[in-house]
Amino acid sequence: MNIEWMDFVQVFVIALAGAAVLVTLFSLALRLRAASGRIPVVAPAEFTDAIAVLTDKQQRREEKAAEKAARKSPLSDAQKRMALLGSYACFALCGVVVVGAILLIVFGEGH
Amino acid sequence: METASLIVVLVIVLALFFDFTNGFHDTANAMATPIATGALKPKTAVTLAALLNLGGAFLSTEVAKTVSGGLIREEQISHDLFPSLIFAGLIGAVLWNMLTWLLGLPSSSSHALFGGLIGATLVGVGMTAVDFGVVMSKVVLPALLAPFTAAVIAFVVTKIAYSLTRRYDGKPDGRSGFRWGQIFTSSLVALAHGTNDAQKTMGIITLAMITVGWQASDDAEPHIWVVFAAASAIALGTYIGGWRIIRTLGKGLTDVKPAQGFAAEASTSATILASSAVGFALSTTQVASGSVIGSGLGRRGSKVRWRTVGRIFAGWVITLPAAGGVGALAALMVVWLGTWGVAIDAVIALAIIIGLFLYSRRDAVDSNNAMSAVSESGTAVKVKKNPPPTRRAQRIAERRAAEKAARQARKEAKAKRSEDAR
Repeated sequence: MNIEWMDFVQVFVIALAGAAVLVTLFSLALRLRAASGRIPVVAPAEFTDAIAVLTDKQQRREEKAAEKAARKSPLSDAQKRMALLGSYACFALCGVVVVGAILLIVFGEGH
Repeated sequence: METASLIVVLVIVLALFFDFTNGFHDTANAMATPIATGALKPKTAVTLAALLNLGGAFLSTEVAKTVSGGLIREEQISHDLFPSLIFAGLIGAVLWNMLTWLLGLPSSSSHALFGGLIGATLVGVGMTAVDFGVVMSKVVLPALLAPFTAAVIAFVVTKIAYSLTRRYDGKPDGRSGFRWGQIFTSSLVALAHGTNDAQKTMGIITLAMITVGWQASDDAEPHIWVVFAAASAIALGTYIGGWRIIRTLGKGLTDVKPAQGFAAEASTSATILASSAVGFALSTTQVASGSVIGSGLGRRGSKVRWRTVGRIFAGWVITLPAAGGVGALAALMVVWLGTWGVAIDAVIALAIIIGLFLYSRRDAVDSNNAMSAVSESGTAVKVKKNPPPTRRAQRIAERRAAEKAARQARKEAKAKRSEDAR
């Protein structure tokens, strides 16, 4: 019985690296965005059974807290602009990673 | 039309029906977490999943080649018998798939298919007709290793997501922004599902066509119409199946947070896409479940409910032999009665499918028959509502407490001094 164990190692390493790069970039993008003073407050699209319903008041409170934190940011305007730019760059890189992964599947056939 | 060709047509119809039930069964693999965290509206999620399953089916054919060009040694099976055996195997897969869906048992559509096919071939021809090397390396080992791989990856990336966005100054961390990311990662899971699961049907149809000479035996590549038909069937199944899940979704995924959902989906899609590239025919349900459990463990203050994990694992283990058993029974009819056996199999299967369908219509939609195995895996990990602080948070809290105590002491000393002075 011929089992190619290297294939399993390859799948693990590629999957781990791909997922880690994607999650790191996206998390960094959110972190930089928060640092730039634009802390994301994204309400659930719809309240299914799984989500504790967030009232409008709670949502506004979260938005206010984000605004307050942004106002009190110790960064200068230039630093904030840099952080925002970095955040957009990370988001764009996330897209590149995803597209790259799909292209690898399409053109990487015949393994 | 000769009998063998007629049976191949029956195989194609049943394979496409299996593909439909596969989409039906697995909608939640991609969309359970984004709906549970509120990243996507249920209607949008299901439509997106259907479209991406359709697109994903066109991306790769490696898994289809594993099914059509390696699992079964078709050269050792007579051309008259083989289509009937594939038909028997498909009956095993479809019946097991529908039964587990109706009973809410965790199961894998892929393993139901392989189990049915292997069971029917073993009974119809014997051990020599199954390539156990390929079964082991491309089906059984990936089935055992993929959920653990996905769980480990999900655990690591959940830790990364939380640590990179953690704030120690008490200000909002913006983690709800992971809902944006979930739209893309869940789409990627749906795409990955299309690349892996739709191909299994393509492989079966190609295998049947090779046996009657409609396709050359040295060419395992599926025809373009087969790709189109399989892609459409899985997309349609995904779209129709999703509506039942929406109504009850969330019983097992109440604890999933956007950052965790994002990490789990990233792990699921990376594992499935990497596996598809090397032709591993793994179960997307198992990978998605492994990721949900792994990402749950990646959060602070989480604990595994081993009893639930055991139940899920038992469901996975039983699928291959159970579907194999049904496939073997159907194959026995073919071996004993020939073409009449195929006809009897078809009638019995049709009656059972209609019966199960009517039963599912009569029975109200509830958590037992509409929940996915993935949602159940959400209950396998218990996360504390107030998790213990990280070491850094603990150090900061201790420092603040010490500072507060020092301030208090200074204040008291000052008050004492002024009292003494008076």
